[in-house]
Order: sequence, then structure tokens, then C-alpha cells
Amino acid sequence: MKKALLLTIFAALMMISSAAVAQTTASGTLTVTATVTGSINLVFNSDASGLALSSGAGTNAATLAFGNVSAFGAISAGIVRSTTASNFTVSSAVDVLVTKTNSVSANYTLKAQLGSADAVNTWTVGGTAVTNAAQSTLTATGTYAANSNFPVAITVPFTTASGTLISNTINYVATAN
Amino acid sequence: MLKKYISIMRGVALAGLLMCSALLPAQTTASGVINGSLNNTSGISIQFDSDPAGVTLGAAGTNAATANFGTVSAFGPLSGGVTRPSVTAGNFTVRTIFDVQVISGGLTSTTYTLTANLAAAAPTGMNYKVDAVTLTTALQTIQINGAYNIDIAHNLDLVILTAAPGAGGPAVNTPITTTINFTATAN
Repeated sequence: MKKALLLTIFAALMMISSAAVAQTTASGTLTVTATVTGSINLVFNSDASGLALSSGAGTNAATLAFGNVSAFGAISAGIVRSTTASNFTVSSAVDVLVTKTNSVSANYTLKAQLGSADAVNTWTVGGTAVTNAAQSTLTATGTYAANSNFPVAITVPFTTASGTLISNTINYVATAN
Repeated sequence: MLKKYISIMRGVALAGLLMCSALLPAQTTASGVINGSLNNTSGISIQFDSDPAGVTLGAAGTNAATANFGTVSAFGPLSGGVTRPSVTAGNFTVRTIFDVQVISGGLTSTTYTLTANLAAAAPTGMNYKVDAVTLTTALQTIQINGAYNIDIAHNLDLVILTAAPGAGGPAVNTPITTTINFTATAN
């Protein structure tokens, strides 16, 4: 009789303790889904041999300011100048850095296009003429994760009036191959 | 003889009346007893809620919700409620915010401890963090003093290697799904 009573009490205590544990814990699951896609990124960097970018270095929206330029006068460091009988060209090295993520692409194609027409001056990037009519291919085998110098050059006729501001936007597009 | 007959008839009549009186109340009155019992037990429950700053959870308000980041990349556009706190050469992080609400009843406990673990090993190239705690299949403590009955926001970070598939990076262009187990324990 005494043994049975003890067993009953023990069983009751076990039930209470198990119930207590179950009551003070709660669980749930959060199922997380994501789809990873490859991507590439383009930024402009100042090239050591060229003008320092005025703004936006390390981003994809930079500014390159040549300042005052002339065919024969003083010229800022970082600008390369050449002169012909009818015009002069100023050029500055500009680095383009394209990086890739989650991609097996081996290289990229880089194209450029002027934002607006310029009927007077000639623009080149990396030695390739660029206009606003269509994209020009600067390279079809760009190397990822390396600064690549694509000098920006403007050829200005001697007929251009002194004090004329020359400004344009060059749109670059890198495409993974 | 007549007396005996009368006596018998009286007895029969009395018995008939008694039977009628017993039947009539039974037809107009009913009574019963229910022995009810209730165990007033204390307990807690957990549910996941959408956070205004995060993605909208599937099955929000339950303890088995889903969070879909959609398409993610280091540089491309992201879905609403998903941010990209960091991009490095080796990895990038995408983040959403979700709420956990632990409801208590009948407890003297004022706070709870929240732990979490991955249901299975993280897929290649993927790491999962809740509030900066990197999750593994072992239980990790996320919070030790959670307040009951209110939504508490938590960051859910996916740290994704930038390496290409096959070179340590995650599979691309296919949904990657992972289940995170959460446990709230009353303190």
C-alpha cells in the first residue's frame, strides 16, 4: 500500500515536471529563400598618370575637369597635349574598374557613348572615337578586377573662341562576356 | 369476498395514480450534472510577423513563416524590403527585417531567451545571420531578454560569397532555400 502511494506520487511529479517544460518553450521555423544572380559593377578611378577625378572617384558617376586648356599655353599636370595645324587635343588617363560577382564570365565588353551631340569637338576614349549617335566599343576583352586606363581626349579646333566651356557626358556600359 | 374485491381495486387504483404521478414530472423537468474540469496551464507561443521595413512574410502570424528575398546580387536591383549593407571583394550581404512575437499566458516570467539554428548545413557560398549571429546547425542564442507580447524586430542577413559557382560561390539563378529553427524559452 505504501509502495503504491509512493509510485503514484512519483508519477504525478513526473507528469507535472514534463508539463512545465513543455509549457515554457515555444518553437517555430522561418524558411528563407533567395535566388543569387551574377552581376558586374563599373567604377571610375583616378589614374596616377592623369588628372585626379574631380568627384566620384570609386563610383560609377565621376567628373573629369580639364580646367583651362589651350593649344600653347600652360597646361595642368596630368594632361597630355598634342597640337596640329588646325586643332589641339588634350587627354587625361582615366581608369575603369569592372568587377564581377557570382559569374563565370572571363571578360567583359566596354562601350561608350556621348550623352549629347558635339558637332565641333572630337571625343575619344581609349583611342576610340565616341559620339552620341551610337555606342563605340572600347574593348571586347576587358579584364575584371583591374584598373584599365582608357584615356579621355578632346580635340578642339583653333576656331573655338577663347573662354568657351566644353562639357559633355560619356556613358559607359560594361557587359559580361 | 366483496370487501376483498374492493380492497384489491383500491390497491390497483392507488398504484395507477402513483404511476401517473411519477410519469408526469418526468416529462416536464429534466436535470443533469456535468463534472467539468480544467487545467489552467501556463505557456508561451511564438509567431513571425512581417516588419514594415522588411519583406512581407508568407504565413505571417504563425510559427511557420517564409521569407523570400527574391533575386539578389552584389550590384543589381533588389526587391522591396531587402537592403544590401555591404559589398566587399569576397562577399556581399543582403538583409531583411522580420519580427518575432512571443506570447505568454499565466507565467511569472517577464522575458524569454530566443535561440536559433539552421535545420541543415548552409548551402555552398551562403551564410545566414540573425542579428549578426552566424547560424549553424547548433543552437545559437539570439536574444536573452526578449519582451513578451510585442513584435521584436530582428535582422536576417544573407552573407553571400562573390565567387563564381563551382569556385566556392553559391549556385546562381536558382532559388536557394534554408530553414531556420527558432526556440523561445521563458526565463
